[in-house]
Amino acid sequence: MVLRFILRRLASGVVLIVVISTIAFGLLYVGGGDIARRILGQTATAETVAQKTEQLGLNRPLYEQFVDWVSHAVVGDFGTSWFTGQEVIQAISSRVAVTLSLVIGATLISAIVAVLLGVWAARQRGWPDRLVQVISVLGFAIPGFLIALGLVIVFAINLGWFKPTGFVQFATSPSGWLSSITLPVIALAIGGIAGVTQQIRGSVIDALRQDYVRTLRSRGLSANRVIYKHVLRNAGGPALAVLAVQFVGLLGGAVIVEQVFAIPGLGQVAVTATNQGDIPLVMGLVVVTAIIVVVVNLVIDILQGFLNPKVRLS
Amino acid sequence: MHPKETMMFRWKRLAAVAAVVALGLTGCSASSGGSEDSGGTLTLGQIVQPTTFAAAQSNWANESPYMQAVYDTLLTADPKGEVQPGLATKWEYNDDKTQLTLTLRDDVKFTDGTALDAEAVAQNLVRFRDGAGPNASYLVDMTDAVATDATTVTITLKAANPALLTYLSQNAGLVEAPSAFESSDIQTVPVGSGPYTLDTGATVIGTSYVFNKNPDYWNAENQHYDKIVMNVYGDPTALLNAVKGGQVNAANTLNNNDVAQMEASGFTANPLELNWAGLTLMDRNGTVDPALSNVKVRQAINYAFDKDAMLKTVESGFGTPTTQVFPERSAAYDKSLDSAYDYDPAKAKELLAEAGYADGVTIQMPSTPLLGSATFTLIQQQLADVGITVEYGEPGNNFIADVLTPKYPVVYIPLQQGGDWELIQFLISPTATFNPYHTTDDTVNGYIATVQNGTQEEADKAAADLNKYLVDNAWFAPWYRPQSTYVTDANTSVVMQPGNAVPYLWNITPKA
Repeated sequence: MVLRFILRRLASGVVLIVVISTIAFGLLYVGGGDIARRILGQTATAETVAQKTEQLGLNRPLYEQFVDWVSHAVVGDFGTSWFTGQEVIQAISSRVAVTLSLVIGATLISAIVAVLLGVWAARQRGWPDRLVQVISVLGFAIPGFLIALGLVIVFAINLGWFKPTGFVQFATSPSGWLSSITLPVIALAIGGIAGVTQQIRGSVIDALRQDYVRTLRSRGLSANRVIYKHVLRNAGGPALAVLAVQFVGLLGGAVIVEQVFAIPGLGQVAVTATNQGDIPLVMGLVVVTAIIVVVVNLVIDILQGFLNPKVRLS
Repeated sequence: MHPKETMMFRWKRLAAVAAVVALGLTGCSASSGGSEDSGGTLTLGQIVQPTTFAAAQSNWANESPYMQAVYDTLLTADPKGEVQPGLATKWEYNDDKTQLTLTLRDDVKFTDGTALDAEAVAQNLVRFRDGAGPNASYLVDMTDAVATDATTVTITLKAANPALLTYLSQNAGLVEAPSAFESSDIQTVPVGSGPYTLDTGATVIGTSYVFNKNPDYWNAENQHYDKIVMNVYGDPTALLNAVKGGQVNAANTLNNNDVAQMEASGFTANPLELNWAGLTLMDRNGTVDPALSNVKVRQAINYAFDKDAMLKTVESGFGTPTTQVFPERSAAYDKSLDSAYDYDPAKAKELLAEAGYADGVTIQMPSTPLLGSATFTLIQQQLADVGITVEYGEPGNNFIADVLTPKYPVVYIPLQQGGDWELIQFLISPTATFNPYHTTDDTVNGYIATVQNGTQEEADKAAADLNKYLVDNAWFAPWYRPQSTYVTDANTSVVMQPGNAVPYLWNITPKA
């Protein structure tokens, strides 16, 4: 049953990816203008531009170019970047791990902190509740890049505790990796914390009003046990949904953080590729991002099933 | 056990742990800064990534350090811009300059072990001409390149090309190993004879390029470091932070806004003037806008701009006002011409009236956010003050393409000031890229022919006459030469290269 559910979701995921790719392709090529001129720059002569157009097959009809792209994409060949000559698949796969480590790290941290803050606010009410609400609003209101900049100036440049830019692979040096990843993850997580905290606070307050909570307490369970074992499980469903949205949103937020911290992730290459109009690379990124989103949503749905039997796949 | 002692002990331990962690992190960040091994590692901040490592499609300017790390060029240029030996020790033209004979060194090997001989050089030249790279036109007049023996290459040209020797000191002169020609990753894995080799394992394409010293290099004098790391910073904030955090030894800058902060962090600003900024009045034939075919209208446009104010507002004063498209170092340049069009809106209105446009003129121009929206507003304002209305179009990504189609009579775009012949081919001649309406003028063509075929003395005089003619006839409306800045830290010296966005790699040295 679970298997059928997964297969059905994967199938609809594939349809989604096909639709997104088609739209993206159309937008990129139709809005693209003189692509060869953009690649070669202003110093090239008209003859060279014409030569390049021919070389890249850009004078073929649009549907022919699309069919060509699709026939290669389904076997995993997304072509070569027009601006670095690197194979698109390689460019993306070498960077996926970096971005995912940022986003997963930020999601985990924001989840943990949000749970702690949200539960604290829901239990105590009064001034802790107010404080947490103010923090949440601030987290929403202040743009991510501003927080990132502030962190760099204070902790990296003035105090010298962390690297201001760049990324060190974990394999090269675990301490270097930690030093290069801490500030970016914090910058990313802050926005996430704001959203999920409010969600958790609301769900916990609602759950605490339920009768079963009174029953559990009257049976002698400690307040902590009630909250962390029973209430959160019930509040977990909506929070998990928010977390899924959060993950996808952080994927986008990673773009800004990667730019500011010069981290070689998907976000950085997405900005460069889009600015330059590097269509093979942009298409590759569109497909990969769509796949990530589909998979994440599928995983979250399965987790929802575990948390709440009522939602389980029937 | 005394409770108080236990408490104090516990706090001390916690504090000790915290201190160790903090020290550890500080130690880590310091050691991976990468810039204190003077003489060992040079870390450069680049503002672009290399488009390709394949010599036949290579770029230059901001990409030149990548190429110079792994390849040699046939000739080189010294910090005065004069051509010097490179892989070629001797070069000689025939009488009418349609044949260039190069004599090569015989002791150079590529990193794959094969010898760098005349055959390899000839093949590289032909591949550059036919490779559809951004500068393929440098060799468009080359009919053939032939290896007449192991160390001699003969280049035949359709017509004299006064800039050829300079081009051979740039990307047209890069020599790649023939064994790499058919390689599938030719664009990302270079095989050359240069002072360094690309460490493909440590390199992250698009972000960080690591080069190790080539132990068999033929010119050890030009190798000042054991390792060079070139980091790409596409974002000015990231670049500024990298400079302030001491993560680079030297870097090009994207604009002058952060230079003061960089200097405050102990970096030296090395200024360079590379381009001229102003209006290119392309439609001198009057095809789209008949008014522009009238020289008085074009002169009026020149008088309409307050160059000093433009410089202060747009570039924060970094640069030098000018009326000439030729650079200061050129024989064509004449300082007295810079006062030919001092700000005079009244004179501008007068000239327009004399030309029969007392009621005003309308011109279309393209605008783009990439060149700073404030500048376009200033252009519109100053021209409006003298009765010229500017209508902006927004071509978006097609800015350059639309300008060169041509779709617009006038454009604002800072353009490079190269050598005299380069400038002529790029901006002035009837077939120049930025002369899309193919304006032809017999006087101009006469001067161009002398620059191409005359002796050095004749060419210099013709260039000077040409420059004066262009200023008098207001082919352009330049405002200033903006200053670009290259920053170096306290451990690094640099000698700038005239006409190139960044210094040549061998001119970046550790301070003794």
